[in-house]
Amino acid sequence: MTNSPQIRNRREFLSHNALGIGSVALATMLGRDNLLATPANVPRGQQVFDLVPKQSHFEPRATAMISLFMHGGPAHMDLTDPKPELQKLDGKTYEGDVEYSFIKRASKRLLGSRWKFRPQGKCGTEISELLPHISEVVDDICLIRSMHTGYNGHEVSIRYMHAGIPGVTGRPTMGSWLLYGLGSETDNLPSYMVLTDPGGHPVDSTHNWSNGWLPTMFQGTVLRPKEPRILNLDAPPHLRGAIQQQNLGFLGKLNRRHLERHPGERDLEARIASYELAARMQTAAKEALDISQETAETHQLYGLDESATREYGTRCLIARRLVERGVRFVQLFLNGQPWDNHANIKSALPAACQRTDKPAAALVKDLKRRGLLETTIVHWGGEIGRLPVTEGDPDSGGRDHNGQGFSTWLAGGGFKPGIVYGETDDVGHRAAVDIVNANDFQATLLNQFGLDHSRLVYFHNGQEQTITNGRKARVVHDILS
Amino acid sequence: MTVLARSPRFLALLCCTMLASFCSAADDDSTILFERDIRPIFRAHCYDCHGAGEEMKGKLDLRLVRSMQQGGETGPAMIPGKPAESYFLERIKSGEMPPGDHRVPADQVAVLEKWVAAGAPTARPEPESIGRGLGISEEERGYWAFRPIGTPQPPTVDDPSRARNAIDLFLLARMKEKGLQFSSDADRATLIKRVYLDLVGLPPTLQQVQQFIDDSSDNAYDQLVDQLLASDHYGERWGRHWLDVAGYADSEGYTNNDSVRKYAYKYRNYVIQSFNDDLPFDQFIQEQLAGDEMIEPPQGDLNEEQIRRLTATGFLRMAVDGTAADLPNAGAARNQIVADTIKIVSSSLLGISVGCARCHDHRYDPISHDDYHRMRAVFEPTFDWKQWRNPSQRQISLYTEADRQRRTEVQQEINTVAAQRDSKRNEYIRQALEKEYERYEEPLREQLRAAKDAADDKRTDEQKALLKDYPSLNVNGGNLYQYNQGHADEIKEFDAKIGEIRKKIPVEEFLRVANEVAGQRSPTYLFYRGDHRQPKHEITPGGLTVTAPEGQRLAIEDDNPQLPTSGRRLAYAQWLTNGQHPLVARVLVNRIWLHHFGQGIVSTPDEFGKLGSLPTHPELLTWLAAYFMENNWSLKQLHRLMVTSTAYRQSSDHLAEFDNIDGANSYYWRKSVQRLDAEIIRDRILAVSGKLDATMLGNYSAVKMDDSGQVVVGDSHRRSVYVEVRRTQPAAVLQVFDAPVMTVNCSKRTISTDANQSLMLMNSDFILNYAAAFAARVNQHAEGMVDAELVKDIELGFDPAEFYLGDPWSYGYGFIPEPAEGKLAAVNFTHYPTYDPEANRWQGGEKVPENPLGYSLIHPTGGHTGADQFCSIRRWTAPRSGEIEIQGTLAHTNQQGDGVELVLYSSRLGQQGRWTVHASNEEFKVSLKVEQGDQIDMVVSKRDTISFDSFQLTYQVDMALPNSDEKQVWQSEKDFHGPLKDKTLPVKSPIMQQAVYAWQLAYARSPNKAELDLVAVFLRTQLASLVQQNHEDPAGQAMTNYCQVLMSSNEFLYTD
Repeated sequence: MTNSPQIRNRREFLSHNALGIGSVALATMLGRDNLLATPANVPRGQQVFDLVPKQSHFEPRATAMISLFMHGGPAHMDLTDPKPELQKLDGKTYEGDVEYSFIKRASKRLLGSRWKFRPQGKCGTEISELLPHISEVVDDICLIRSMHTGYNGHEVSIRYMHAGIPGVTGRPTMGSWLLYGLGSETDNLPSYMVLTDPGGHPVDSTHNWSNGWLPTMFQGTVLRPKEPRILNLDAPPHLRGAIQQQNLGFLGKLNRRHLERHPGERDLEARIASYELAARMQTAAKEALDISQETAETHQLYGLDESATREYGTRCLIARRLVERGVRFVQLFLNGQPWDNHANIKSALPAACQRTDKPAAALVKDLKRRGLLETTIVHWGGEIGRLPVTEGDPDSGGRDHNGQGFSTWLAGGGFKPGIVYGETDDVGHRAAVDIVNANDFQATLLNQFGLDHSRLVYFHNGQEQTITNGRKARVVHDILS
Repeated sequence: MTVLARSPRFLALLCCTMLASFCSAADDDSTILFERDIRPIFRAHCYDCHGAGEEMKGKLDLRLVRSMQQGGETGPAMIPGKPAESYFLERIKSGEMPPGDHRVPADQVAVLEKWVAAGAPTARPEPESIGRGLGISEEERGYWAFRPIGTPQPPTVDDPSRARNAIDLFLLARMKEKGLQFSSDADRATLIKRVYLDLVGLPPTLQQVQQFIDDSSDNAYDQLVDQLLASDHYGERWGRHWLDVAGYADSEGYTNNDSVRKYAYKYRNYVIQSFNDDLPFDQFIQEQLAGDEMIEPPQGDLNEEQIRRLTATGFLRMAVDGTAADLPNAGAARNQIVADTIKIVSSSLLGISVGCARCHDHRYDPISHDDYHRMRAVFEPTFDWKQWRNPSQRQISLYTEADRQRRTEVQQEINTVAAQRDSKRNEYIRQALEKEYERYEEPLREQLRAAKDAADDKRTDEQKALLKDYPSLNVNGGNLYQYNQGHADEIKEFDAKIGEIRKKIPVEEFLRVANEVAGQRSPTYLFYRGDHRQPKHEITPGGLTVTAPEGQRLAIEDDNPQLPTSGRRLAYAQWLTNGQHPLVARVLVNRIWLHHFGQGIVSTPDEFGKLGSLPTHPELLTWLAAYFMENNWSLKQLHRLMVTSTAYRQSSDHLAEFDNIDGANSYYWRKSVQRLDAEIIRDRILAVSGKLDATMLGNYSAVKMDDSGQVVVGDSHRRSVYVEVRRTQPAAVLQVFDAPVMTVNCSKRTISTDANQSLMLMNSDFILNYAAAFAARVNQHAEGMVDAELVKDIELGFDPAEFYLGDPWSYGYGFIPEPAEGKLAAVNFTHYPTYDPEANRWQGGEKVPENPLGYSLIHPTGGHTGADQFCSIRRWTAPRSGEIEIQGTLAHTNQQGDGVELVLYSSRLGQQGRWTVHASNEEFKVSLKVEQGDQIDMVVSKRDTISFDSFQLTYQVDMALPNSDEKQVWQSEKDFHGPLKDKTLPVKSPIMQQAVYAWQLAYARSPNKAELDLVAVFLRTQLASLVQQNHEDPAGQAMTNYCQVLMSSNEFLYTD
C-alpha cells in the first residue's frame, strides 16, 4: 500500500525540509551531537524544545490518529465478541474463577447476551445488532478481541492505556509522545487536541491528556465542548482585526530590536515565532471548527440531523477537519462513564451505542472517501471490557469490570482491514489467544507512525524514559498490512 | 529537542532505565580494570541475581574475579585471556543473559570481551572474603560527589585583574584552557535590573536605576546588593525556589476532589521568613526535618519558637496525601506517601535518586536496598503505615489556655441564654396547648390532657390512639409559629442572640505538622521489590553508607531516651548538617548557582549520582560548599559572593569568536540571558501596572474558574508566591509559563516557549485588565514625570486630546429665535426630558401627546414636530475642528397636512440650508467648516398646521482625518441612542509623555530616539484606526494596547 499522492508530497516535503524548515532543529541536533562528543565535564545545556517536524525512525504508515476513547468498559460480549458458549450457559453458574471489582453485588451466574450477532460485510465479522453502522464499515476495520490490561479498575487501566504503566499518573500520554517524537505538521493549529464532552470531563479527568514530565508544549489542548473552544484564542471584539495586527506588528519590531542586541539567542527567536503561530492560529482554528462549511449530506452522514447523535457526530466531524489540516492526534472523550453498565445494561448499553455508533462509522466512511484513511488511524475502544457474569439481578442488573479481556478496533493507517485478531475464552472473561496488552498496543501504534517505541526516549531525572517504560512490548505485526 | 537514541538500549526492569554512556573509560585503550570498568556493567545488568542477594542464581557470584573463575553450577564462568571459552560471555552474547527483554549493549559487551582477553586484570588484590551484598568499591567511593569536601583552595591565575573573588579565579583557570576571557562588565542599567529581578523578583523603578547610575562610589553595587538582600521581597523570591523542591501545594491531591490543605500556607510563610531572617541553613534543615524534636515538649500554650519549629515540619507533609478519604488500597496509598516524602528529602538535600533503591540495589550508584530502608526507618515513627494518622490527625491546635478559658466563658454565656430560651419555649408550648385544650369539651379535654401529660413509655394504647386522632396537640419548638407567630419570633431572637455570642469564641487554628506518637516505634522491614506486602528482614535507622567514610556509616539509635520522640529525625538532620556530609552543601550551593546563572555547575540539580551529569567546575562547587558552611550556612552571604563576582556582573552579549568555542557558555565567559520565572512575569506585570498589593505572608489568594473555564487568580493582586497552589487547578497564567504542577516536587523547571503563552499575552482577561490598569496609571501620573524635552519633537500629527471622547449627538426641542441686530441667533435648545425605551424615542413626557410638548419627538429615522416653541432638534457637536460634509434625506409621506420644514443651522455660521417637504423627499448635501464645539442643529418645524407632521430624517456627517486619506463618519440613524452613562476618561497627560512614562515603568529605562520614533508611528496608526472606528476613548485604548505590547515583549520577559 502506498501513501496517497497528496500525503506523500507532504511527507517528502518534510523529509527534504525537516532540517531546512527548522534551522532551530538543525542547530539543536548539531548541538546534541556536539554534546555527545564533548568531554565529560561539559554539562547538558538547557534543553530547548520545539514542534518542528522531525524525521521518524523509519517510513511511517500513518501521520495522524483519531481516538474515540470509549472509557468505562464497553461490554464486548454484547457488542463485538459473540460467545455461543456463553449463550448456551446463560443463567448457569460459572465454573472458573472470576476477577470482580464489586463484590457486594457479584455473582457467578453467567449472563448471555440479549442481542443478536450476525456476520457483516464481505469479511463476515460478526457484530452485534446494537452497532448497525459500525457493521457497515466492518470491511475497513481491524477488530482485536484479545485486549488485556490485567486490571479491572478504570483509572488503573486508563493510565496503562494512555501512558504505559498501570495506575501511575504524571506520565506523558500517547499524543504527547507523538508530538515530542514527530513534531507538528500544522503550523497554525495545536497538534494534539482533546475533544471533551459537554457533560463534563471523563473519569480520571485531565490525567487523560497529561504531558507528564514532557514540556507543557506537548500537552493535549482541550477543545472545549462549547465556545470558546480554545481558551484565549479569540481576541476580544475591540482588538479584532487591524488593531491587533498593529499591536503584533509593534511587538514584532520591539522584539527584533531586542534580538539585535542578543544575536543568536534561540529562545528569543522562538518567542517571536510563537507570536506568529498564535496569530495564525486565531484564524486557522476558527476555520477548522466551522462545520457549516460541510455539505448537508456530510452533516447527515455524521447524524447531525438527529438529536441522539448530533453532539458526538459534531465532534467526530470536527476531528476529521482537524486531521485534514495536519493535526497529529485527536482524542474524543465522553462524560462520566456511559459504558460502565453495572446496572440496567438492558437500556444503558443501547443508549451508549445509539449515541456513538453512527458518528464513529461515519468517521471511517468519510475519511475513506477523502483518501485520508490510508494515513489516519481511527481507534475505537476503552480501557477494559465487562464480565460474562451478571452483577445484581439479571433483569435490572449489569456486568462488572473486566480488564482481563476486551475488544478494540482500529481502522486505516496501515492496519489490516476486515480482520479479527485474537480471542477471549469461551465465555469472554479472559483474553486467551494472541493477547494484546496496553504496551503492545502502544508499540504497534508508534510503529505505524514510523517510531520504534524503545528508541523514542526522553531524559527525565537523569534517565531515559519511554512510553512503555522498558516494559515488554511487541509490535503486533499480524494486524498490519 | 527530541532524543531519538541510535540503538535500543533497554533495561526492562521495574523503574530504572539507563543513560547513554556511563563507562566512557572503556572507550580508550588503557587497561580495563574490573573495579572501575566491569563492576558498573555487572551492577546494571547482572548483580540482581549474581551478587546483591543472599542467594546466587546458579551459584554464580560475579562480585570477584576469583569467584567468576570458580564459576557456578555449570562450571567456570570466565577464563582469563580466553574470551571465546568464557561461558558468561557466551551467555550474554547469545542473549540468554540477562533473562527477560533487556540486553547488555554491544559496546559494553565489547568492554567485557577486551577485559577477559587482557587477562581479567584487577586494580588491586582482591579481598580474602567479602560480606553479604555488593558493598562499595574504592572506585565507587571515589566518585566525585562522595569525596569529602575538605578545605579546597582557589587556583592562582596568571592575570587575575578581572577577578573580583574566588569564583572568578576558578572560572578563569578553566577559561584559560580554551582561550576564553570574561566579557566586559554589563552597564549599570542592565546590572541593576538583573540583580533586582534576581534577588527580589521585582523590577527597579527608573529613579532607583538613575540613582545607581549616578552613584560613582566604589561600593555602590555592594550597597545595592545589601539593600536588596535586606528587603522582605527577597524571601518571597528565594523562598519560592525552596518551595519548588519541597513540593509545596495548598491541596492534598490524589483524588479528583483534591481537597484543600487549609494550613499549609503557614509552612510557606515559615520558609519566606526563614529566608528573610537568613536563618542559618543547617538550622533551617534541622527544623524542617525535626522541628518537633528541637523544642521543649509543649505544655500549655505554645510559644512563638515552638510554633515556628513545629510549622517547619510542614516540609515533611508536602507529599500528595489522599488518606483523608476511605481508600480502597490504603496500604499502597500510605506507603506512597512515605516514598514521596523520601524522594522530597533526598532530591532536595542529597541530590541523589535513592528511589531506585526502593525496589533493589541502585544499578549505578552504591546505594543499596538496605540503605533505602535505613532512611525509611528514620521516618518510620512519623509515617507508620500500619498505625496511620490521616491529615486531620496530624494537626496541632494553636488554642491557648486563654482561648480555652474564653471559650468556656462564652459557652456559659450561651448556656444561660439557651436556658432562658428553653424555658420561654416550654412556656409558650404550654400556653399553646392550653389553648388547644380549650377547643374541646370535657371529658375529652381531660382525656387529651392526661394522654399528653403521660410519660412516653407510660402512655396507654388508647392514649396513643387518641393523640393520633388529634395531631394539633403535637406542639413543639419547630411548629410553634403555627400557633403563635409572635412567640415563635421571640424564640428566634434568642437563637440570633446565641449566634452573636458564639462569635466571641476565638477561632481555633491549627498547624500542619510531622510529628510522632510518643512511644510508638514500629520496626522497619526491608520490602522485597519495594512491596509493603512482602516484608523481609528488619532494618535499623541510619544514613546512606556511601556518604560516610568507610566503616563509619551513621547508625541512629532506635530511641533517644532524652526525648519524648524517637529522636531519629533529629539525629539524622544533625548528621546531614555536621559539615562532613559530602552531598548536602554541594547540592545546596549548586541550586543557588543554578538560579543566579541559569545553569547549574551540575546541570542535574537533583541527581549528583552517575545518572546525572558531571560538574563543569567540580573544584569551584566544592569550594563553594566549604565557603557556605564556613560562613555559618548563610544563604545571604552566598548570594553576596555570587552576585558580586565578575562572572555575574559581566555583559550577556554574544561574541562570535567565543560562541564558536563555547556556544553553550559552559565556561561562563558571558552572562546568560534568562527568561523570568512564571511568578516573576506575573509579579512584574502587577508591579508596573501599579496594582501590586505588597501585603506579605498570610493565607493564600484563592484561584477560581472564570466563565471561559480558565483557572484565574481571584481579585487579589498579591505576589504570585501567595497564589493558591491547587494541584488540579493550577493558575493558568503561572502554569503556562512553566510553574510546576506538583505531582511530587520540582527540582528544575522546564522553560518552554509556545503559542499558548502568546495567546495568553494577546487575549486573556488577565493581560487586558492589567494593561488597562497600566494605561490608567500612566494617564493619571505621566504629566510632570517625564522630561518634556524628550518628546517635544515628536509629531503625532494630532493631539488626541482634541478628539471628542464620547458621543456627539443630543436630542431636544426648541426654536430659532429672531436674531438681535448684527448678531447671530443662538438656537433655543432643551433636551427632551423623557426617553421611551419601548418605542426607542425621545419625547416630552411619559405619554405622547399627553405631555407639555405634545407630539414633539425624535426617533432613529426621524420624528414629529411640535408647536412653534417645540420644534424637534437633532444636534451634532463637533468633536474637533475641520471640514465636514453633511448629506442625507428628509421625507414626509403623508398626503394630508402641509408637511414640515428643515433648517440646518450652525452655531457659528447660522443657517446653512433650508428644505420643505410635503408628501415628498428632499436629498441634501452641505459642506462647511467647523471649530471644535460647534453645534450643528437639524431644526424641523411645522408649517401652518401641526397635523400629520411625522417626518423621516437620516443623514451622515463626514470629517476628514488629519494627515490621512481616511474619513471619520457619524450616522444619525446608526448612532441614535437613549441616555448614555458617562464613560469618558479624560486625557490627563499628553499622550507621548504617557508613552514615555509607560516605557520607563516597564523597562526601567528611557526610550532612545529611534525607539521613540517607533512608538510614535505605532500610536499614530492606532489612534487613526480607533478614531476611524469611533472608539469612545481612542487615546485610552491606544495606550492600553501599547502597555500590553510592552508587557508582552521579550525585554520584559527576559533579563539580560
